[in-house]
Amino acid sequence: MPEQNNPFRLLIVDDELAIRRFLTTILEDECSLHLAEGGHAALAAAAAVKPDLILLDLGLPDLDGIEVIRRIREWSSVPIIVISVRERETDKVAALDAGADDYLAKPFGVGELKARIRAALRRALQQTPEPLFVSGDLTVDLTARQVTRQGGAITLTPTEYDILRLLVTHAGKVLTHSQILKQVWGIAYLEQPHLLRVNISNLRRKIEEDSSHPQHIITEPGVGYRLK
Amino acid sequence: MTTIRPVFGYLGAILLVVLASLLCAAVHPYLAPTNMVMIFLLAVVLAATRLGLKPAILTALLSVVAFDLFFVPPRFSLRVEDTEYLITFFALFVVGVVISTLVARLGRQVAQVQRQEARTSCLYHLTRDLAGALDDNAVVEALRRAVDATLHADLRVVLYRDGVAVPLPSGGQRPSDDTDQPTIAWVIRSGRHAGAGTAAFADADATYLPIKSGGATIGVMVAAAGQAALRENRQLLDAFAAQAAMAFERVQLARDAEETRVLREKSHLEQALLNSISHDLRTPLVTIAGALDTLLAEDCPLGPAKRRELTITALDEASRLNRFVSNLLDMTRLEAGALTLRPEPCEIDELIGCAIGAVESRLGGRRIDTSLAPGLPPVTIDLPLLTQALVNLLDNALRYSPPTFPLTVSAHCSHQTVFIEVQDRGPGIPAGEEERIFDRFYRVAVPEQSGGTGLGLCIAKGIVEAHQGNITAANSTAGGLRVTLSLPAATPETLEEEA
Repeated sequence: MPEQNNPFRLLIVDDELAIRRFLTTILEDECSLHLAEGGHAALAAAAAVKPDLILLDLGLPDLDGIEVIRRIREWSSVPIIVISVRERETDKVAALDAGADDYLAKPFGVGELKARIRAALRRALQQTPEPLFVSGDLTVDLTARQVTRQGGAITLTPTEYDILRLLVTHAGKVLTHSQILKQVWGIAYLEQPHLLRVNISNLRRKIEEDSSHPQHIITEPGVGYRLK
Repeated sequence: MTTIRPVFGYLGAILLVVLASLLCAAVHPYLAPTNMVMIFLLAVVLAATRLGLKPAILTALLSVVAFDLFFVPPRFSLRVEDTEYLITFFALFVVGVVISTLVARLGRQVAQVQRQEARTSCLYHLTRDLAGALDDNAVVEALRRAVDATLHADLRVVLYRDGVAVPLPSGGQRPSDDTDQPTIAWVIRSGRHAGAGTAAFADADATYLPIKSGGATIGVMVAAAGQAALRENRQLLDAFAAQAAMAFERVQLARDAEETRVLREKSHLEQALLNSISHDLRTPLVTIAGALDTLLAEDCPLGPAKRRELTITALDEASRLNRFVSNLLDMTRLEAGALTLRPEPCEIDELIGCAIGAVESRLGGRRIDTSLAPGLPPVTIDLPLLTQALVNLLDNALRYSPPTFPLTVSAHCSHQTVFIEVQDRGPGIPAGEEERIFDRFYRVAVPEQSGGTGLGLCIAKGIVEAHQGNITAANSTAGGLRVTLSLPAATPETLEEEA
């Protein structure tokens, strides 16, 4: 497969032949594919191929997927999307905290997978975030530190603004509780989730029309928050 | 018999003799001295009944002296003119001593009978209490009451079942330390008494009695030394131990019977589960495999529209299969007790938002109206699990009501309990089945195949109950089914604890 015809290199790590075959079929027209069956092979391939994106299964025979993420993150910030049958929240949090960019539970739809791949690539290409974030009726101007809803300015506390800015700069990506706590309050506050809960609740009251139908700040139960 | 301090007994003896002497002095003019002996004997009898043996003997002795001194001529001297009086003195003293001894023995026997009576009645009460004891703790409580009432001793019970010590409430002031482990182990091994008042471990500050059942020692009664160490009380304690052994045995038998019943019920359920699983897993597979087979066939006679329809059916069935497997996994986790709650305070609107967000892709244009009372308190929940429960309720409402009608989710709070209601406009449930819809594999009989797994509501119930909540269903007056789940509101203390 001539590489120059394909816009990006994709590394697929999964020990199931059926899954590799299926992913190859649906993705091979859009990118140059590289396959790995285990964790060590994945690490070697990540170094040799320097992929633009990695699809990683967590249940590998030789090395746990979380460990693979951790080792890759030691030297690379390549987007990693986890695809796993493990659907427990603790597994998601562990993968995201280790540095995965996204988490997709098997079985997933092809459309969903392609959308996640596109979003991850877009975020990776975008080195500096857009200074103006617009989503529905919400506008966040990062340069002017200004938040407006339906044209009207909203007053946020410094902490609320910090949370919102963090979510905006990672729009579409799930941020775990500890990631937000670490970035906004600092590493000493990791065990204080109520700070986050109270501030998110206040923030929602200010920027959401109906907090039981949130349009902007979406809760991923047991995992974290995501800005839509 | 009332016990009197010795010094008072002897003082009483002197007083009685003084009184008798005064009485004799009063009747001296009218009575011959020999007959005054009767008055002194009366004093001796009184002393014997009231003051005890030794004061009575003292009374007899003093009576002789007083009689001689005051009334036998020559008066106010110990000398005796008439030697016949020596016989009177001797008789007075001997009769006095004999009466004292007899009275004292009688008193002891009465006391003995009374004590026996008390023990018999205590044993009777213990038997009655033990008959009503439903578990080990109640047996131990009854035993402790009995030992306390009869011997005023503190009691601790160590019980072994299948070679493992059963934790029981530790007794009274006695610290339940492990310093006497060797003694207890020895009693269990040998089945003999130990501790204070016995031959083994005699320097211990408690008496250890084996509780024997069917030849084996199943436990040890540890009674604080004191009355319990006395040999005369050993029989009583042994009787207590025998009663306790029977009670423990009965508790064990009752528990075994209950376990057997549960096991039998479980195996019935498991059979039903297997039948249902094989049906629910195979049916979608039949459709999927059949569809793929048809599409793959070289000479497939179907047009593009038909092929597409077949593909969509296969896809639907695949997602149904996935849903079923997820539900089965949830169910298994719930029932295997592998569900560890990680409760955190959470706002009600966040919970409802998560659940609605999760079913959004399946709504297909249907509306879910929400109505939340203002100022709802937070609840302490495992958010992912409770979201799952609420999603199951929403799924159920979506599946069993016509697609043109909206669902309503509402929440309110009263008496420190938050109520969340999911209301649909479907046909509701047949009367009398309000409870059954939470059973495993229960499906309301509806004409068209609804594709439900029959597990969703059951899982929701399991999750809600794991949160000390409650879930009920009823047909609403406005038509349709209303499922209400209630959760305890987070108290300020739990919120503070977290902060």
